[in-house]
Amino acid sequence: MGLPVSYSVRNVLARPMRSMMTAGVIALVVVAATLFLGLITSLKRTVAISGDPMNLIVMRKGSDNDGSSQLSLEAYQAIRFFDGIARDAADQPLASPELVVQPFLRTKDGGRENVLARGVEPVALQVHDKVRIVEGRMFQPSAGEAIIGRGVASRYADAELGKELQFGRGRWKVVGVFDADGSAFESEVWVDVRELANDAKRPFPYSGVRLRAASPTDLARLEKRIDDDPRYALDAQPEVEYYAKQSESANSLYVLVIGIAVLAGVGAGFGAANTMYAAVQARTAEIGTLRALGFSKRSILVAFQIEAIALALLGFAIGAVLSVLLALVLNALLGGIAFGAQTFTTNVITLRVSPSDLIGALGLALLVGVLGGLGPAWRAARLRPIEALRKA
Amino acid sequence: MEPVAAREPLIQILSVSRRYVRGVDEVHALENVSLSIAAGRFVAFMGPSGSGKSTLMNLVSGIDRPSEGEVLVAGQSLGELDEDELAEWRARHVGLIFQFFNLIPVLDARDNVALPLLLTDLAKSERLRRAETALRVVGLEERTDHYPRTLSGGEQQRVAIARAIVTDPDLIVADEPTGDLDARNAEAILELLRRLKNDFGKTIIMVTHDPRALRFVDHAFHLDKGLLLEGEDAERADRAVQLAAGGGLLSAAGAARPGGAA
Ligand SMILES: Nc1ncnc2c1ncn2[C@@H]1O[C@H](COP(=O)(O)OP(=O)(O)OP(=O)(O)O)[C@@H](O)[C@H]1O
Ligand SMILES: [Mg+2]
Repeated sequence: MGLPVSYSVRNVLARPMRSMMTAGVIALVVVAATLFLGLITSLKRTVAISGDPMNLIVMRKGSDNDGSSQLSLEAYQAIRFFDGIARDAADQPLASPELVVQPFLRTKDGGRENVLARGVEPVALQVHDKVRIVEGRMFQPSAGEAIIGRGVASRYADAELGKELQFGRGRWKVVGVFDADGSAFESEVWVDVRELANDAKRPFPYSGVRLRAASPTDLARLEKRIDDDPRYALDAQPEVEYYAKQSESANSLYVLVIGIAVLAGVGAGFGAANTMYAAVQARTAEIGTLRALGFSKRSILVAFQIEAIALALLGFAIGAVLSVLLALVLNALLGGIAFGAQTFTTNVITLRVSPSDLIGALGLALLVGVLGGLGPAWRAARLRPIEALRKA
Repeated sequence: MEPVAAREPLIQILSVSRRYVRGVDEVHALENVSLSIAAGRFVAFMGPSGSGKSTLMNLVSGIDRPSEGEVLVAGQSLGELDEDELAEWRARHVGLIFQFFNLIPVLDARDNVALPLLLTDLAKSERLRRAETALRVVGLEERTDHYPRTLSGGEQQRVAIARAIVTDPDLIVADEPTGDLDARNAEAILELLRRLKNDFGKTIIMVTHDPRALRFVDHAFHLDKGLLLEGEDAERADRAVQLAAGGGLLSAAGAARPGGAA
């Protein structure tokens, strides 16, 4: 048997100032890592979850998002009756014509941001079946009513049931709040598509159409048929693909943040190594004593490696508590965190520190401990007992 | 008392030299030293600073290896053991006592004493029980949960002695165990070591500068510049120490024979 873990842990606690300083640096890395990971996870979730595997998004050829696409009534009427589109109980095709505009809304803290307003018909709730009204009700067509996503409700002024939002030329009474499994729809305002087209004075009534295919084979067939139709120059693509493209920016952010986290981790690793080298230096005679008593090189190596890891875990514990608190505070103060997505509208993301983000940060902290401890632990193990004892 | 010759020597040091390379120089810490020490004896090693006393202790306890010659303890030639085997042998057969006590500051007295037992298969409860027994032997049963910094120097050294005997080793090696203690505490430690020899039959070898130690030991070896003093030189050195201690306290019976044996 080697030295007990308690020996290593007690040594961390035996130099509280130095340990707390190093643990504090590791804690900062942990806070940064968890918050960024949490943010990115939420961001990826909004874009990743937005796609339904059975849905097609139809836009004008050459548009890369539905904000810049336009579609005529005629085109909509034609594709609506294509074969292979799923139908509802009343045998109506699940085709949702949609118009997207990006008006400004006032935020609660007094700023102004683009928000995505989507004009839809009631069928939209069937095509986007993740969208559920959790408060109030669906809007009535031509009544100046709106329903808003949960992210909108927490972020913008007057974004609450019974109040009126002002954008475009009109006022829109909020009659419902919806939830969409954390997807990007939660950052949108939905109103009647005809009213929105009138208000925005658009030459074309729609930006695009969303179709629900009856089966995966139908999905592929529909996509090809729409792409190949010479009449309207339209482009169909699976919703999942469309959002995957949109999330590429989130992915590059992910890589960037992981890079920063690793760099910060390396810095913290040097801090931990430094502290541990100092510990080895200060305890040279003690190491010599342990070796003289018969403890092997290996048990010295392990004890100091564990000491470095214990230091990192202390940092992780402090950092984890801090980041959970910080997430709570940030969400309460800001009502979520705004992101300009490719379409320049604001995606509102609620920052959640999830267990997986914490596990990611734990991994990073452990890496800091293991790598930071490696050198000092080796130095400790390699000390020659007779020379180490002469340091007494 | 048993006749000395009837006992198999516990320690045999055969033509041992230890040289250290220091830059381009070579330091001859020990030069061709031969001696033997019988089991159950309490012997002192004396000599000026740098004469090789600590070097010899390190060789006998297997912390260091000779450049030449052979060290045998209880018939085991230490040169035949590799590093790990030597560490294991040490854990089982040698109890070490240091000048500066060398207790582990983050462990209380009981855990410090129980430390060498971590290298055995004993269960934790048994380890702690034995540690408490050892602390009772050194008279510190009241201090089991004290940390080293809350103990006096004399108490710390007694904890270290408890740690040295907890594995019930044949041999105790002490390098200046009283070097950092005042006169009263030093005598108490010497008395305790003598009791370990008398009551438990331990063999004890001790480095000391303290002339009063002569009252407690069976024999004193003298080293000078890496050489073991023998014959006339040894007797002269003995007399010098006795003089320093204030008179003939060492019995002639303990005097070294040629070749050095105790
Ligand atoms: N690890 C080492 N490297 C180089 N030289 C050493 C080493 N250990 C001891 N020496 C040298 O060997 C000689 C004997 O040293 P040793 O420590 O055995 O002396 P000592 O008799 O114990 O002295 P003291 O009474 O001061 O403790 C000294 O000259 C010392 O400097
Ligand atoms: Mg010495």
